Amino acid sequence: MGLLSLIVFLPLIGAILLMLLPKEQEKTHKWLALGFSVATFAASLALIPKFTAENFHFQLVESIPWIKSLGISYSLGLDGISFWLILLTTFLSVISFWFSFYIEKRVKLYFICLLILETAMLGVFVSLDMILFYTFFEASLVPMWLLISIWGGERRTYAGLKFFIYTFAGSIFMLVGMIVLANLYAKATGGPISFNIVDIQREVANGKLWAQAMQMQPWIFWSFAVAFLVKCPAFPFHTWLPDAHVEAPTAGSVILAGVLLKMGTYGFLRFCLPLFPDTIGKQVPIIMTLAVIGIIYGAIVASVQPDWKKLVAYSSVSHMGFVLLGIFSLTHTGLMGGAMQQLNHGISTGALFLLIGLVYERRHTRMFKNFGGLKAQMPIYSAIFLIVMLSSVGLPGTNGFIGEFMALMGAFESAYAGAFGLSMWFVVVAGFGVVLAAVYLLYMFQQVFYGKNDNPENQRLKDIKPWEMAMCGLLVVFIFWGGLYPNTFLKPMEASLGAARMMAINPTGTRPVWSDDAHQIDEQMNLVSDGKIIAPANLHYPLKEEITAKEAKLKEVEEWRRVVAGSTTASGDNWNLIAEGNK
Amino acid sequence: MDNFGLIWLVIGLPVAGFLIQALVGKRLIGNGSGKRLVGALAVAPIAAAFALAVVVTINLTTLAPGTREFVSAGWDWIKIAGLNVPFELRIDPLTMLMTLIITGIGALIHLYATGYMAEEKDYARFFTYLNLFIASMLMLVLGNNLVMLFIGWEGVGLCSYLLIGFWYKDLANAKAANKAFIVNRIGDWGLTLGMFLLFVVIAANADKFGAHEDRFLSYDVFLPVIGEILKEMPGVTTAIALLLFVGACGKSAQFPLYLWLPDAMAGPTPVSALIHAATMVTAGVFLLNRLYVIFELSPIASAVIACVGAFTALFAALVAFGQTDIKKVLAYSTVSQLGFMFVACGAGAYWVGMFHVTTHAFFKALLFLGSGAVIHAMAHNQDMRNYGKLRKYLPITFWTMMIGFVAIAGVPPFAGFFSKEGILGYALANSHATAGGVNFSYIVGWVGLAVALLTAFYMTRMTMLTFFSGDERWKLIPAHSEGHDAHEHHAHHASHEDHGPDRHGFFFTQEQLDAEPEVHEHHHDLDESHKPHEVPFSMWFPLVALAILSIGGGYLLNNNHLLEHWLYPPGTQVLSLEAHPHGIPLEALSIGAAVLGILLGLAFYLKKLPIKEGWDLAKWNPFRTLAGNQFGYDNAMVAATVDGGRDLGLAMWQGADAKVVDGAVNGSGWTAGKLGDFFGRIQNGFVRQYALVMLIGVVGLLGAIGYSISKGLDAPPENTRPVGNVPSQAAPSVSPAFGEGR
Repeated sequence: MGLLSLIVFLPLIGAILLMLLPKEQEKTHKWLALGFSVATFAASLALIPKFTAENFHFQLVESIPWIKSLGISYSLGLDGISFWLILLTTFLSVISFWFSFYIEKRVKLYFICLLILETAMLGVFVSLDMILFYTFFEASLVPMWLLISIWGGERRTYAGLKFFIYTFAGSIFMLVGMIVLANLYAKATGGPISFNIVDIQREVANGKLWAQAMQMQPWIFWSFAVAFLVKCPAFPFHTWLPDAHVEAPTAGSVILAGVLLKMGTYGFLRFCLPLFPDTIGKQVPIIMTLAVIGIIYGAIVASVQPDWKKLVAYSSVSHMGFVLLGIFSLTHTGLMGGAMQQLNHGISTGALFLLIGLVYERRHTRMFKNFGGLKAQMPIYSAIFLIVMLSSVGLPGTNGFIGEFMALMGAFESAYAGAFGLSMWFVVVAGFGVVLAAVYLLYMFQQVFYGKNDNPENQRLKDIKPWEMAMCGLLVVFIFWGGLYPNTFLKPMEASLGAARMMAINPTGTRPVWSDDAHQIDEQMNLVSDGKIIAPANLHYPLKEEITAKEAKLKEVEEWRRVVAGSTTASGDNWNLIAEGNK
Repeated sequence: MDNFGLIWLVIGLPVAGFLIQALVGKRLIGNGSGKRLVGALAVAPIAAAFALAVVVTINLTTLAPGTREFVSAGWDWIKIAGLNVPFELRIDPLTMLMTLIITGIGALIHLYATGYMAEEKDYARFFTYLNLFIASMLMLVLGNNLVMLFIGWEGVGLCSYLLIGFWYKDLANAKAANKAFIVNRIGDWGLTLGMFLLFVVIAANADKFGAHEDRFLSYDVFLPVIGEILKEMPGVTTAIALLLFVGACGKSAQFPLYLWLPDAMAGPTPVSALIHAATMVTAGVFLLNRLYVIFELSPIASAVIACVGAFTALFAALVAFGQTDIKKVLAYSTVSQLGFMFVACGAGAYWVGMFHVTTHAFFKALLFLGSGAVIHAMAHNQDMRNYGKLRKYLPITFWTMMIGFVAIAGVPPFAGFFSKEGILGYALANSHATAGGVNFSYIVGWVGLAVALLTAFYMTRMTMLTFFSGDERWKLIPAHSEGHDAHEHHAHHASHEDHGPDRHGFFFTQEQLDAEPEVHEHHHDLDESHKPHEVPFSMWFPLVALAILSIGGGYLLNNNHLLEHWLYPPGTQVLSLEAHPHGIPLEALSIGAAVLGILLGLAFYLKKLPIKEGWDLAKWNPFRTLAGNQFGYDNAMVAATVDGGRDLGLAMWQGADAKVVDGAVNGSGWTAGKLGDFFGRIQNGFVRQYALVMLIGVVGLLGAIGYSISKGLDAPPENTRPVGNVPSQAAPSVSPAFGEGR
């Protein structure tokens, strides 16, 4: 069993062990579950020395045929896009398990759910097979649904069901898209069907896969995109999130905000960028518009919430908008910023939910009207909360700034949102989301921490305990680490994100191709040497050069297509449209 | 000897001080006995940083003019392909001028604060913020690229937020703090966009930077070349300049973003002196000087800058008349003086802007600290209507504040005269800020002269009301309650209900609460028996030091073009400007304005004030009320943004989000349920309703895809279908593929 399999299934083994224990031994359950999550985290730390940042290919690949006749295999692999998400997941899981020692109701089931959830989340980020991805993607729903509906707040049943059905309804479209892709692959190669994205991407990159099905490309793109937009969540698919967040137990909220939402953005990076190169240019304005609406809309709605958790939930809508904006700017800076921002959001918003949970455990209320003046009552807690809040505001020096800044800058540079001018207006509006972030987050801080502490219930509150401080302190370390030396986080992602970007925007024949065998890297396509990315055109400012390159390739591609597919109409139109859109 | 590496210590010492205060400050204070130690630990790093900055500056003077530039590399901060923002510090005349002001005046104000805040319970927290502020401000000026400037830019905004809200138990302070941060963020929005636009332009011309290509965002790389690049695109240049100016407006409190500064007076007075007068608010002027090569290329932007500056100067000077709070007068005076600095920059005379920054730092810090001494002596009452005849009780404060007063009024040979006269001279003599054929520079010059008169007038009013004007008024009337710089009242209510067993140890028990002594802060109200007392050494020493600077600083810096040639050695600026207008006796006019303003002030306020009707409010009552309300601008903005924003937010949340967006979701569930009923197959239950919707959706999508596939495969009509891999029957639907392997 490879390292990745070990990481993915260690929590599941823990869950099975827990099932065997009698449910009365609550303490054992708690410690055993924490032990397994720590072990998983330790195992994921072992990835750091094994991971090569200079390489965008999949590493530590494991591949075993699963259902051969259907072309489904058990394939795992790690690349720069998934690397930090794995570590984020295992890290936040430890924090969540640790926090969950507060749980007193049905302890055994609770920790089994958490452990299964961890396996599902980790599986999503390393699956190379689409069906395997889908399995993990959906498997994460069940434990989360149980977490919300059993250990949640007052409206837990409604929120849990809404979460489950909404996200499930979104991802069913993706399954359809996957099946179509696999069949198109079989058609293009004439060989057996395969759900392996490495295979599929290879055929996409050389233009064969879509050659006969150009009109379908937007459809399939959107079947994936809808699933991920719901998961992110982007406007207008976000309404499940506030309900789920508010009702979920603290650990559930932390994981939901920290990891589950990242499945959406990860999906965009893993599927939508590499697999739909001919249509993505045209879909970008739509998604960027949704992202910008989400940024502003989430922020405005957040700023009038009377409920602490709901405010942070809506702030997630706004923050994830920045991730989308960065990714779909399709510039290198923007992609790096978007990917960085998704890590930051995991850390900061996870930490916010954790901190809210600390007070919720004490006071059992989330309403702002019940708080006020906590700063004098809990000085250490309020200092930590201030730091985390500022990271969420995007203050320079904290991690939040790096992601937001790069995502916005990438969007500003973008030539792919239709026209330069339009893209600039996206940023002008989205930049105002940064102002609004200050509005709602400072409002939140004021409501809870400033003013007089005249509620007798609050006057009896003690400051947080050392182990709680340690838990939050860990997150604070990452906030400053990401803010002061972001290269730690940016470097491992750079090659993979650069490749994903070129898969999306380069013309046929110059698109990089994944390899799931690290020894057989096609030298021609290896974009990285000496730690530097060799771009086909000016990587940073992709206006004129790349478009010219595209147009130059156009004829060549046409010729080639004619030979391969015998089709001249569909593909030709499409290319011209893209070229025009970029002018 | 090259000791420029010391610059890391200059910024490192305040950071160290901040960490010490934050981590162990509270513990060191203990039960109050360690306050002196903590105070010393707060002042020492800043004073040491000043000493080191002096050493570095002296070192810099040994280099030839024009070559005084040194970059000290730190680490790679953001480094990805195409974007390299290293963490490095820059030493040049401009940064060192700012560094000396920040650390020098900062050290004096820290010293002052050890006395002013001596009774404060959260002593360490105060110095935590104050030290962090110095560090952020140094980052702003010393950083070698705009992103590092932005760290400092927002960092000082944060410290300002924290310090305005220092006495957070009063919600009004917390709101003022929020206002400061948010209004500043609006400015930052402009700055960010300006930065992006500039970066995109730079990146597009990266090949012009030769060997330095990969760190082209650093000042030392792009500043020498950017002028050449931008010359060919005047529209972009104007856009960049105006966007950056929006940022400068926010930080430097220019109309329409000045709103936060008057409210910022809610913070402790040393903070007002340090942040809201001497250093932070001048960051905008610093930015204009730093990037003057961009601003001087755009006459339109220059005209806008000059006009905004002049309007702000006039507006704030008028509003200052309506104020009864001594700190508010100084706040509006700061806004007004900042307007002068922008007039200078708009006219193209960037160095004069910095000159006024410097002299203003001297006399405005002095005036604020003096006002703090007065407030301290008057039991934290800030209302000038309760003062009067204080010169008798506070001799040192009185004399030093008089020096500050004549310096800001523009009386020679005090500091303010030289810089203000310089501004007016450059504005009247040149025509850089010309847009649409109108020489705005000339117009704002005359406006500036009028504002100089007003400045002398309202400052005389403040001085007279405080130190002269008849009676010791606090003995005659009860204290006005507004503008009370209240120390926090700490009280624990003794009665609590019992909440049952406390399993997690979250709560204090009743015994613990009872054991905690109630804290009684030393605090009393103004009444007849109040006797103002002169401030201790730690507070009057900074006053004296700043007074000396306010006397001689202006002359020394102006003499022999000392500051001008230090900042801009002859030949570095593109613009060639006249320093003095022809045919206008400017010196006589500006002295005349100052003297006339003072005389007018004396005429109105030297005598006793009428006791009834709220003292001097009786005069020009309608105007004063209007001015006191900022002519309604603040209220209108609050109504539009705060109230309007809340209404919008509620409408969006309860209307759009709950009813429309979520309504669609729940509605589809409801429809599915109805459909289910209709078919009679599905029992009650949410899941099934949704499942049905899903099923319908999937079927629909499959149908659409199938249709599209069949169409796609049918589309190519030619008979040249390749023989190769595609099934030869040219399948019209997807069914074989789907069926495969099932």
